[in-house]
Amino acid sequence: MSEGLNYTFLIDTFFVALSGVPITLFVTIVALLVALPLGFLLALTRINQVPVLNWFSRIYVSFVRGTPIIIQIFIVYASVPLILSLFFNRYNININVYDINPIWYAFIVFSFSTTAILIEVFRSALSTVNKGQLEAAQSVGLSNFQAYRRIIIPQALVVAMPNICTATVNLIKATSLGYAMSLQEITLKAKVAANAGYNYVEAYIDIFLVYIILCSLVEYGFKLYEKRLRRYKYASA
Amino acid sequence: MLKINDIHKSFGKNEILKGVDLSIDKGDVVVILGPSGSGKTTLLRCINFLERADSGNATFGDLQVNLHDASKKDIHAIRQKTAFVFQNYNLFNNKTAIENVTEGLIIGRKIPKADAIAIGKKALDKVGLSDKYDSYPSQLSGGQQQRVGIARAVALNPDIILFDEPTSALDPELVGEVLTVMKNIANEGTTMLVVTHEMSFAKDVASHVIFMDGGVVVEEGSSHDIFVSPKEERTKKFLKRVLPEDYTFYI
Repeated sequence: MSEGLNYTFLIDTFFVALSGVPITLFVTIVALLVALPLGFLLALTRINQVPVLNWFSRIYVSFVRGTPIIIQIFIVYASVPLILSLFFNRYNININVYDINPIWYAFIVFSFSTTAILIEVFRSALSTVNKGQLEAAQSVGLSNFQAYRRIIIPQALVVAMPNICTATVNLIKATSLGYAMSLQEITLKAKVAANAGYNYVEAYIDIFLVYIILCSLVEYGFKLYEKRLRRYKYASA
Repeated sequence: MLKINDIHKSFGKNEILKGVDLSIDKGDVVVILGPSGSGKTTLLRCINFLERADSGNATFGDLQVNLHDASKKDIHAIRQKTAFVFQNYNLFNNKTAIENVTEGLIIGRKIPKADAIAIGKKALDKVGLSDKYDSYPSQLSGGQQQRVGIARAVALNPDIILFDEPTSALDPELVGEVLTVMKNIANEGTTMLVVTHEMSFAKDVASHVIFMDGGVVVEEGSSHDIFVSPKEERTKKFLKRVLPEDYTFYI
């Protein structure tokens, strides 16, 4: 029995964990690409009290927010193949549902859960922009679409940025649950490497380090972008 | 040039406008006076479709619209002919002074950017802000912000500018600079419809004064008619309240 940490393994596994970063980022980016526009549109339906859609987003948010992501993963990972195989059998499509790359399930779960969070982020951010901004834009002849794009969204985005950053970082961390559906991301890769020699402590330290580096970089990027967005607030005369 | 007929507007059960008529000719400076809650601001907002009236008609030059069910196209056409100066300025917070002024020109009226900037600079010069082109609203005082608001309206070269209590949100010592700017553009022949509590402005500048109370026009006439020889009891009471005690001496 060796004493202390196995440093060689620690260093080797760090790079194994690191090799999961592209998958983690890929899932994160796809989820954001779906959730940002969808969350924004659904937030608009809530603010403008659009019938039906407004109710839909409200119920959607409380369902997704009120359930652990791991359960959402289990449900999607278990039920979607069932539904698909029924569908494929019925229409004689020759695809084996169990050959589907789990990344597709990851896209579904994380897009859905991030959308719910971003609906609330955008809703609160949009409500901080005074109604007078829209009225002023209309009064100088801008359409609603132009007013949102040029006046309201830039201001709401400044308010939303810290929360979007939090949502993104939470999303990156949540993708670690992807191991439950054998998604080849950071956590799974390091854990698998640890299985052979029971070097779990080393593997967990590596996972820890990779996430903290990744999340710090993302936070730093957001901070820079936010600073650029909000220059109108603190510009010196 | 602008005629409003029998405009009605309620918020819930609260009837704010109970059939108001209004007629403005080119070059007129019409001032609407009246106590809070009399419907002055609502009237102004309905003209620019910031609120949708329950009923009523507007004739704007050769354009005739129903204020309740005007189409998007009509609303756009009316907004092209009008400009609005808000009580709380409502400058675009994410734009500099010059961008605030040119936004409506470039995006709303499709004027080439270089021309828009020239027009915008001229408008800001007119309100005495030639050194503030690139300042953001957060860097300007209330009076300066409202002057940018007026420049934004003037730059559009509208047929009429609607002023909604333009000095009510200002510190007393900043009111003067805004009123001076308003007087200047009035003297240039700009058609203006002004809701204000500034009696001196109404007395000195208005070509026509309207006194509103309880959602109707109580009395209207020249500023001399209203201030010196008001006929209606409500008008007299209101003037007594808002003018200095020895107002007879003033006049």
